[in-house]
Amino acid sequence: MSIKKRPKKSQDPLWLRLLPIASVVLFLAIWEAVVRLRGIAPIILPAPSAIADYLALMIADGSLPFHLGVTFLRIMAGFLVAGFFGILLGVLMGMSRIVSRLLDPWIAALYPLPKISLIPLLIIWLGTGEAYILTISAISAFFPVVISTYAGIRQADQGLLRAARDLGANERQVQLKVVIPAAVPSIFSGLHLGMGVTIILVVAAEMIGASSQSGMGYLLIRYGQVLETEKVFAALLVLAVFGGVIIKAQERIDRWIAPWAIGHR
Amino acid sequence: MDIFVENLVQIWDDGGDGITALDGITHHFASAKLTCLLGPSGCGKSTLTQIVGGIEQATSGTIRIIDPANPATPARPGERSVMMWQNLNLFPWRNVIDNVAFGLEMAGVPRAQRYAHARDMIASVGLKHFEEKRCSQLSGGMRQRVALARALVMDQPILLMDEPFAALDAQTKIVMQEELTRIFERMRKTILFVTHAIDEAILLGDEVVVMTARPGRIKEVIKIDLPRPRSQELINTPEFGDLYDRILHLIREEVLNAMQQQNEAAAQ
Ligand SMILES: Nc1ncnc2c1ncn2[C@@H]1O[C@H](COP(=O)(O)OP(=O)(O)OP(=O)(O)O)[C@@H](O)[C@H]1O
Ligand SMILES: [Mg+2]
Repeated sequence: MSIKKRPKKSQDPLWLRLLPIASVVLFLAIWEAVVRLRGIAPIILPAPSAIADYLALMIADGSLPFHLGVTFLRIMAGFLVAGFFGILLGVLMGMSRIVSRLLDPWIAALYPLPKISLIPLLIIWLGTGEAYILTISAISAFFPVVISTYAGIRQADQGLLRAARDLGANERQVQLKVVIPAAVPSIFSGLHLGMGVTIILVVAAEMIGASSQSGMGYLLIRYGQVLETEKVFAALLVLAVFGGVIIKAQERIDRWIAPWAIGHR
Repeated sequence: MDIFVENLVQIWDDGGDGITALDGITHHFASAKLTCLLGPSGCGKSTLTQIVGGIEQATSGTIRIIDPANPATPARPGERSVMMWQNLNLFPWRNVIDNVAFGLEMAGVPRAQRYAHARDMIASVGLKHFEEKRCSQLSGGMRQRVALARALVMDQPILLMDEPFAALDAQTKIVMQEELTRIFERMRKTILFVTHAIDEAILLGDEVVVMTARPGRIKEVIKIDLPRPRSQELINTPEFGDLYDRILHLIREEVLNAMQQQNEAAAQ
């Protein structure tokens, strides 16, 4: 009888652990060398060193932090709205046949629709302000969340429900203490999908039509139009790192809220 | 608690003619005795246990659950029993103590009280200091103990155990069998114990009910009059050997029948 241990990363040999870093460094070195040796114009493909200079500049003058912060707030707003309504409706659908029958046709019809195609309509209805960005991102993230939540509730392990009833739980307790917790892994995976979609849609909305002139999407489009390719790369780099950080943070939060759910998905 | 099962029939709906899982089971499971149910796979052992436990509803037949001290008011199936499941059905989002305290929590027992109670039970199955662990962090044998504690904490006079030790390795199984013997001798509950293993049935049971292949009927009831307390050493005695041979003979016939059924079903 012993406690199960997870294999630790540190058991890998050193060279194996350094391989990811080596891969990136090597790639950057080749890129730098090619640009310099062949004299490629910075407008087409700037060297990594040049991108790094511009990146430092954009951080120092406060433009990157500002636009990144704005994008972050929009993502959080869209994600929270979608997460709240997605989980709420998913749970209601899972628990009430009436609600699921009422909502099923709408979800079936709207889920496959590429949400980005709603942008023209939303601009007509909501204008090009914050409401438009929030709506498009929240709508897109809502669907994966509601569908995963609903599936998680419906697919709750019947054995656990029977065990709970055998231990004296009434139907309300079964729902609250068994069905909903059992759906948590599935809800988490819905929230992960939702977060990915929110990031995409917020940046896309900032690129297409938003009047606020702020956010990473806006930055990318503006620098692209004036052919400041170094800044485009710098913004892309930041966006990629930012997305990675958000996903990692979300995993941390999952692990903190429900450590048992890890590996259950 | 005496359990009188009379003419119990269970026909599962399979979209067609139905599957007859139990075909007229009549038996008296004696109060404060440990009865083992033995039979080939699919003969309806789980079905019978679940009907006795009020988890499933029988197609026809009656179950009377009677306290010998108070025979005037019979209990409903499930009212005075608790199940220990073959696959345990522990709640993975609850740590050990919250799994064990689940039933008390549902009954509205205040936190301090139910924890005190659960802690005692956890200690008595040998899991002291594991209260805060998640179930996924425990070994198979330890999880088994959690499930046992979760059932015992309900303090019900009837304990239904559906192949609780089937998934354990041989050593852990022996330890758990001894544990159960100890608990049974101390608490004197009425226990229905489903098993595939003949030695386990003889070692634990006051009585072994051998069932036929599907549709499940009672083939024979064998009294085990070996003295208690029992231990593993019993396995080497001639009495044990005789009982083993007798039951093996009964079971072999039924297992062959069950295999033939399966072959015929596969051929169709
Ligand atoms: N809920 C159910 N719905 C339909 N058929 C069922 C159901 N539960 C059991 N059965 C069928 O009833 C028969 C008896 O099943 P049961 O699980 O009681 O057998 P068992 O003796 O416990 O078998 P095993 O030793 O494999 O656990 C089987 O043919 C099974 O397929
Ligand atoms: Mg079974």
